[in-house]
Amino acid sequence: MIVDINFVGLIIASIMASAVPLILASCGELITERSGVLNLGVEGMMIIGAISGFALMTVTGSLIIAVFGAMLAGVLISTIFGFLTQTLITNHVATGLALTIFGIGISAMIGKNFVGIPGKEFPVLFEGLKDTIPLLSPILFGHSIVFYFAFALPFITSYFLKKTKIGLIVRAVGDSPESASNQGINVRFVRYACILYGGAMCGLAGAYLSMIYTPQWIENMTGGRGWIALALVVFSTWNPIKILIGAMIFGGLTIIQFHMQAIGVRIPVQFLTALPYIVTIIVLVVISRDSRKIRLSTPSSLGKSFYKDN
Amino acid sequence: MNTNLKISNVTKIYPGCVANDDVSLEFNSGKIYALLGENGAGKSTLVKILSGVVIPDEGKIYLNKNILKLNSPSDAKKNDIGMVFQHFNLFETLSVFENLIIDTDEQRENLKEKIDTIMKKYNFSVDLDVPVLNLSAGQKQKVEIIRCLIRSPKVLIMDEPTSVLTEQETSELFLSLKKFSEEGILIIYITHKLKEVMQLCDEVAVMRRGKLVSVSQINNENIESLANKMVGQDLKTIKKKKENTSSEQLIKITNLNFTSEDPFETNLVDINFSLNRGECLGIAGISGNGQSELFQVLSGEIISNKNSIEFNKNFIGDLNPQERREYLMAFSPEDRLEQAAIPQMAIFENVALNNFKSSNFFNNGLINESKIKEHSKKIISEFNVNTDNIDLKSQFLSGGNLQKLIIGRELITSPDLLICFNPTWGLDVGAINYIHETLIKINEQNKSIILISTDTDELLKLSDKISVIHRGKLSKIMNAEDVTSEKLGILMGGGN
Repeated sequence: MIVDINFVGLIIASIMASAVPLILASCGELITERSGVLNLGVEGMMIIGAISGFALMTVTGSLIIAVFGAMLAGVLISTIFGFLTQTLITNHVATGLALTIFGIGISAMIGKNFVGIPGKEFPVLFEGLKDTIPLLSPILFGHSIVFYFAFALPFITSYFLKKTKIGLIVRAVGDSPESASNQGINVRFVRYACILYGGAMCGLAGAYLSMIYTPQWIENMTGGRGWIALALVVFSTWNPIKILIGAMIFGGLTIIQFHMQAIGVRIPVQFLTALPYIVTIIVLVVISRDSRKIRLSTPSSLGKSFYKDN
Repeated sequence: MNTNLKISNVTKIYPGCVANDDVSLEFNSGKIYALLGENGAGKSTLVKILSGVVIPDEGKIYLNKNILKLNSPSDAKKNDIGMVFQHFNLFETLSVFENLIIDTDEQRENLKEKIDTIMKKYNFSVDLDVPVLNLSAGQKQKVEIIRCLIRSPKVLIMDEPTSVLTEQETSELFLSLKKFSEEGILIIYITHKLKEVMQLCDEVAVMRRGKLVSVSQINNENIESLANKMVGQDLKTIKKKKENTSSEQLIKITNLNFTSEDPFETNLVDINFSLNRGECLGIAGISGNGQSELFQVLSGEIISNKNSIEFNKNFIGDLNPQERREYLMAFSPEDRLEQAAIPQMAIFENVALNNFKSSNFFNNGLINESKIKEHSKKIISEFNVNTDNIDLKSQFLSGGNLQKLIIGRELITSPDLLICFNPTWGLDVGAINYIHETLIKINEQNKSIILISTDTDELLKLSDKISVIHRGKLSKIMNAEDVTSEKLGILMGGGN
């Protein structure tokens, strides 16, 4: 059998494309969790982003307004979460779950009028270079700006957390909000900011799904990707680079099992569908076994409410 | 330059308690001031007010005659007030350098230089690149002090700094503090340890139940006079009567080992000792050297080789705590609210928790509440627990009362051996006295005690034999009369 080398490149590119929403949402959630806030509403924020992006694109016709509108929608819905958990000191887990249920419900309601409408074509970059290098060209060129941003994001996130002052403050707040507060850091402000940032990234991840990956609106179209993003954050032990690895494995297995189903491999479909979930978690657990490193990168105050009493 | 800090008529009221009642004090640089009081006397609230963590209801604070507005910790920092908290304010998972850079606006290189200068000047040595969780308590405290010194403070407040330090670390700290004082930093030293006040300070202010009771020169005071002021009544000094203990062996530990899978725990290596009836064996050491593992192995929380523990001629190394209680052992763990009692449960429910079989607290799986309550009342009255409500949740008992309840619960079954771990940790003088009296009393009744403690004074006072644990190994067992606290200090640090 002769395999066209460009075909392999195309498969890798499609794997990368399917990893984009996971990377975006996970890197956003990672910052939120590093500040000590556990937001289980990723799925809800993504689906809100998806419908907002698609609806704004259809109504205004402007892709820029649609993308930024989706991010703003993510910010708005995460503001609800922030207000509840940081100002009214509600439980992070329960509030996050409620946020997801709310997001799925309201997106279905808004989305009713947008079912069946075709999406618009999203512009891609470096289209002209597509046939220049075998294998690499399809991987490197001809993708949307969101795609390139997503693959830069883990490195930016890692640099931000390790090298910048603000990143240090975020980690400090996640480690010990009491100490941070006694050092004069405004814990509530930092956590709000991280929650809103997480919301924006989840909104963008949703917009990528409904505007670029499969340009149309389908009810419940995030299909559990928010939960996978959450799992990636935990199993990567809060390490952005490992999130990238995990998202690629997950995306890769999802694509490959589709092809296996298509060519009729005699393995039960249910097992094939479950494969990406199982393998991703096993790989991440295996590469993150150093208990000292886990201790150092786990935000100690994760999920715990902080209030200052005077 | 002289610094003058004045607290004027400060009052802070919490629901149900007046933490500071109209407190006025004045401090001048060049001296070391002690703020002395029992737990709950209001010293910590007062220094939290000075460091901007707590905002007072009434009263004013002046620095060099200028009124200070302290609404947040950063206000205190801006006004050159530095504070080292009792519970460290460090970020455990961040490196030492990250902990230091986080609240300055300095460039990395400048800060590094500054830290180097400070460390050289005061002879500190701390590795800047390791995460704080790998440091000993003494080193953590140095990081806190360096953090204050970077800002060249006018005032340095130390809140019970020696509660986690060894003797050597304490004397090093005192040398540094004296040096700071000579350089013109005003030092306020909060403690409930009288010896330290006599050793270190020039002036002492005593607080009791939120009120300032006295301010005096140290030369006019001695330990007894300060203790009486602090407690508000005359304390009788207790001494252990040295009697001829029996030579009947009660417990014998042979070649006991414990290897932990958790890298943050200490392995126990070849523990051997024996103890006779009526004796108290003290085990000294800096915390984190295997004490909690030793306690767990002795109590049966960690099960070991059957033959490694011989108790009353039975081999019990493979029994769990409840089964060991049947052989008349009793346990008082270090953490009162996490290990010894369940905070959300009522006093009487907690009493029923060490449900030994012979207690009849349970009939056919049902709780015999009246029996438990009767039993609880007996403990409360015999062991002086200051409450008459046995339905009270145990989290509302003060540390001292809770400890009395726990010791009472363990002792009322008249066990042959009591194993306790830091029984007076964090308690005030009155409660410590009571616990010490009780421990001496049970020795006099020909019962034995294994006392694991980080408080050397307590060990020297109560023990007949003393050993030191260092990195999971026990030193040889010494007679308490032949031991001094200096010698213990050397052994605790790993010396010979």
